[in-house]
Amino acid sequence: MKTEKGQPILNIRNLNIWYGDKDILRSLSFEVQEKQVTAFIGPANCGKSTLVRCFNRLNDFTPNFKFTGEILFKGSSLYAEPDATTVRKQIGMVFRRPTLFRGSIHENVAYAARISNVSRTSELNAIVEKNLRRTGLWNEVEGILDETPVQLSTGQQQLLCVARALAAEPEVLIFDEPCGELDPIETVKIETLMRELANDCTLIFATNKRRQAARVSDVAGFLYGGELIEFGATEKIFTNPQDSRTEQYVTGRMG
Amino acid sequence: MNSLMSRPNPKQKFALQSIALLTLGGVSLLVWNVLKKTYLSDVQVSSVARVSDPLPNLFGDIYFFLSISFLGALLGITCAFYLEEWLPETNWVRCLIEGQVSILSGVPSLLYGLLVVTAFLPYSGAFQRIQGFPTAGDLNTASLQVSSFQGDMTLFYIAVLTFVLLVVPRVIKATQEALRSVPIPMRESAYALGANRWQVLTKHVVPLSLPRVIAGACRAMSCALAVSALFIGIYISGYTIQPGRMSGRFALFLGAALVLSIFSSFLSQRYPLASTRHT
Repeated sequence: MKTEKGQPILNIRNLNIWYGDKDILRSLSFEVQEKQVTAFIGPANCGKSTLVRCFNRLNDFTPNFKFTGEILFKGSSLYAEPDATTVRKQIGMVFRRPTLFRGSIHENVAYAARISNVSRTSELNAIVEKNLRRTGLWNEVEGILDETPVQLSTGQQQLLCVARALAAEPEVLIFDEPCGELDPIETVKIETLMRELANDCTLIFATNKRRQAARVSDVAGFLYGGELIEFGATEKIFTNPQDSRTEQYVTGRMG
Repeated sequence: MNSLMSRPNPKQKFALQSIALLTLGGVSLLVWNVLKKTYLSDVQVSSVARVSDPLPNLFGDIYFFLSISFLGALLGITCAFYLEEWLPETNWVRCLIEGQVSILSGVPSLLYGLLVVTAFLPYSGAFQRIQGFPTAGDLNTASLQVSSFQGDMTLFYIAVLTFVLLVVPRVIKATQEALRSVPIPMRESAYALGANRWQVLTKHVVPLSLPRVIAGACRAMSCALAVSALFIGIYISGYTIQPGRMSGRFALFLGAALVLSIFSSFLSQRYPLASTRHT
C-alpha cells in the first residue's frame, strides 16, 4: 500500500511524558509526513530520545514511564495495540551505537525475517542481498557473509544495523543519533543513505548536530527543556526561525 | 586481552600448588584414617563403626552433591529468570524476594546447620530411630551425617533440603547478576526489530549470560562444599570421640576441613560475582 508523499503518518496530540514524577516532555503536538525526513534537534537531555522511542514503544520497558495524550499511527492509536511487537515491525529503529548480534553477517541481516518465521534459504538470501544492496554494503561484504561482523569498521557496522532494520520492511524508520560514534566520512555515507531511503520510507531522526539535521531533513523540530519550541520545514527553521531560542541554537550561540 | 588470561605468576603458582598439596594431604590423611579404622585395625566393628565404610560414604556423597546441584541450580536459575525477566522492577513480590535473597545469601553457613538441628531434626523423629545416640536434647549434628548413609533416608532428605536452602539464594543472586550483564542496547536492538520477549530471551539473553550463570552456580556449589567440609569434621569427630574429650584425630579432621574450606574460598575467588549494573 503506497500513499502519496505528504500524507500524515504519525499524529501526535498533546503528548506529555513523565518518568516517575519527573516530566520529560510537555504538551507536544505535531504531525510526521509520509516519506519525509523529520529531524528533532536540541541539546542533550532535552527529550529527543525519549520522544523518538515513543514511536516504537521501546519506552514500555522503562519503569515509571507514564504518558498522556495521543500518538496516532495511520489514524489508529499506537498504544492501543495490545502487542507491541507488531508496532515495532512497522516502525524500526537504528541506535547510536551499532549493536551486533551473535552469528554471521547473513544471520544479522536475516534476523527480522527469521523471527517472522521465514526459513527458506533462497528467500533469506534474497532478503539479505536486497537490503545489503540498499545500504551499499553488498560489494564490501559479499564474500564474507558467513563470517562475524565484528571485523567490519564501525561505519560498516552501523550500515549493517540499518540493513538489519530495513529487512523488517518498516514503514517508519527511527534514527536515534545514528552518527554519534562515526567519523565524518562514515557520517556522509549514512546521510546519503538516509536521503535515498526517504524515497520509500518515512524517517524520523534525532540528533544534536544541527548541520546534519539541516543537510538531511525535510522537516525539523527544535526541542528544548522538554518543549517543542518550533516545528516546521527545515529551510524555515534554519533560515528564518520564529523563536529567539531556536535562532540561538541554529546559529550556534546556544548548545 | 591475552595478557589478562596469561599464566599465573610464580607467587600465584606457589600458592596454587601449596593449596593443592595441602588439600591432597588432608584428604589422604582422612582416607587413611577411615581405612585404618575400618579394615586395618582390630577394633570391634560396631553398628556405629560400620558407617565409616568408605564406599557407601563415597556414593552417599556423590548422590548428595548430585541432588543439591540439580535441585539448587534448577530452583535458583528458574527463580532468577522469573524475577529478572518477567517481574517489573517495582513489583512487590520481586522486592520481597530480592530482599530475602540478599539476606539469606549473606547468612553464614553455620547458621544453616543450627537451623537443621533446631528446626528440622526434632520434628523428623529421626533421633529416636538411631540406637545408641543422643536424643534431640543433645543437639548432636553428628547423628545427621552418621545415619544418613545407613538406609534411613529421612535425614538424607533433610540434609539435602538444608543445602538447597543454602545454595538457592546464592544461585539466584549470581544468575541475576549474570542476566543484568547482558547489554541493554542488545535487548533493545532485538526488540526494535520486532522480536518478542521469548525470542529475546532464547536468542540473546540466555546465550550471552550462560557462562556467567554457570560460573555463579559453580560458586554457590563451592560454598556448599565448604560447609560440607565442616560437616565432615563434625561427623568424624562425632563417633571417634566422646563428648567432652578432644583427641588428636579431632584436630586432624578439623585441619582437613579447614584446608577444604580454604580451597573452596579460593574457588569462589576464581568465579567472582559481577557487581556492575548496566542501566
